[in-house]
Amino acid sequence: MKRNLTRFSGFVLAVYMLAGCAAKDDYPGLEYAPQMYHSTPYEPLSQIQNEEIGSWLDSNPEDEHGEFYNSNPYNAHGMTMREPVANTVRRGEDLPYRYAKDDLELAAAELTSPLEDSKSVVKEGKALYDRFCEHCHGKTGQGDGLVGEVFLGVPVYNSAALKDVSEGHIFHVITMGKGRMGAHASQLSVEERWKVVKYVQTLQKQ
Amino acid sequence: MFKRVNFTHLSLLIFFFTLTALNPSIAQDDDGIPTDPAVISAGEKLFNGNCKTCHQVHKKVIGPALKDVWTRVPQPAVPWITAFVKNSSAVIASGDEYAVNLYEEYNKTQMTSFAFKDDQILSIIAYVKAESANVPEEKVVDNGGNQGGGDQTANASVDSGYLTAILVILIVVLVLILIVLGIIVNVLTKYLKDKKDLEEDDAEVVNQTFDLGKLAKSNGVIGLVIFLFVAIMMKAGIDGLFTVGVQQNYQPSQPIAFSHKIHAGQYEIDCNYCHTGVRKAKSANIPSANICMNCHTAIKTDSEQIQKIYAAIDYNPETQEYGPNTKPIEWVRIHNLPDLAYFNHSQHVKVGGLECETCHGEIKEMDVVYQYAPLTMGWCINCHRETEVNSKGNAYYDNLVEIHEAKSKDPMTVEDIGGLECSKCHY
Repeated sequence: MKRNLTRFSGFVLAVYMLAGCAAKDDYPGLEYAPQMYHSTPYEPLSQIQNEEIGSWLDSNPEDEHGEFYNSNPYNAHGMTMREPVANTVRRGEDLPYRYAKDDLELAAAELTSPLEDSKSVVKEGKALYDRFCEHCHGKTGQGDGLVGEVFLGVPVYNSAALKDVSEGHIFHVITMGKGRMGAHASQLSVEERWKVVKYVQTLQKQ
Repeated sequence: MFKRVNFTHLSLLIFFFTLTALNPSIAQDDDGIPTDPAVISAGEKLFNGNCKTCHQVHKKVIGPALKDVWTRVPQPAVPWITAFVKNSSAVIASGDEYAVNLYEEYNKTQMTSFAFKDDQILSIIAYVKAESANVPEEKVVDNGGNQGGGDQTANASVDSGYLTAILVILIVVLVLILIVLGIIVNVLTKYLKDKKDLEEDDAEVVNQTFDLGKLAKSNGVIGLVIFLFVAIMMKAGIDGLFTVGVQQNYQPSQPIAFSHKIHAGQYEIDCNYCHTGVRKAKSANIPSANICMNCHTAIKTDSEQIQKIYAAIDYNPETQEYGPNTKPIEWVRIHNLPDLAYFNHSQHVKVGGLECETCHGEIKEMDVVYQYAPLTMGWCINCHRETEVNSKGNAYYDNLVEIHEAKSKDPMTVEDIGGLECSKCHY
């Protein structure tokens, strides 16, 4: 009887422990073969800075830290990602934008779109506009997007002040920002920005 | 005599002509601002199309509140306002004291130049004057967000409140029915027991007693209980085994309480706006703080959570300047596909045309994001078996579609073009 009881409680305990393996809140769940989840090489989007973590299955005691530690000790904050070296340009990428934020008038006069006028370009521009601009500038550039209404100060594209601004002006504003608007160069490539410009021009003329 | 009268008439006529020529609008106040309703409505239209984004009449927005503006600017007001609207920087550059002070007060924000005609500007001033007289209604000011979210939660809790009430009422009614039935059975049994002329069969039914202890000890019941217990435990055990190595429902707390429900749900900001890599790269990317700052230079700047962003990028909201002491925001990674499997966001989102919600669930409803999909191999394979390839307008697939259609009438799934090959994902 006693033996049966031990077996029985062992069974219940095993089931209870298994049920506790599921991920919940801050607990990611029991990992099967945890070395598969924790990358030994540096990973851009995951980084473990605690040297203790994973010491229980350390496969390389010489490195003097736990198995899962993968921060780069030579970078600031142990970061595994680095910014590109200053003053360098990636292969195949456009040369850096030379106009300063205040050079709006110069950029507006000098910059011209490398893209042709075509329906497909405008269509792609609209798709990008809907993703990157619409929540502030509104569906039709009236400054009435849901965010625009709380952000305030979003201009109307076909207003007297903006309906005649050049494509270079629009490109410069997307790239460097203007007034309260921030720079969007990190979110849109040069070509994508010119596509947005083509679509914004159709909104200016509405 | 006749001649003199004629001369007086003529001079009067000239006097009136000059008056009308000087003041084209018929109705106007002493300060030269028209009060004609037609002019005011024209002004309203222009105001809403051009000025509203930065100016309100009764409230300071980006620029000053325009209530009574014609009384406080340098006099005469109309020419000054006209010059300022047409080219504010020229007025500031001319050293006009009022304009320079205004420029300094508003953090050197320059007003856009508007190429209006003089009478258009006059009509806008007329509208502003007419509006200035209207006392604004008391409105609750939406301070940029939380309110809508709060209302929604309130609605949801009201709904669930109703549901609980209905359930409780149902249970109470059922219990009452049970009691009433019990009473009826008792009364009927008593009544029947009192009767002497019952047949033997009926008497047995009436007089039978219910022995709970005996029933519980019977083999059938013990067997059933043991079977149920073991079955439930086995099920729990197997379910438990299936969660090992699967991080579904992982919902870690993040260093900044960013809510997708507010950003993607309430304000409908597109996922792409922040997760810029999703159509271009393997990873959708965690946005860097400069994207936060596109809005949060102006929205909710006092919030405790936004202050954490400012601290990380060493931004001073007072001076609006960035310092050198930056430190990374350490978001906790939720979806962690093991190194042995390759997954590419752009292939699925841009080429395949999948919605983010297909794998990430109702992100627009999540205050704190959790892992919606199990991310197991079975889950991947299943989708590859069922999903049709988005080959429309993509010349890359033309040949494959042709070959597939020669062999089969079913639509071409990912499986048909090698979506189950080991080396597609494991290499």
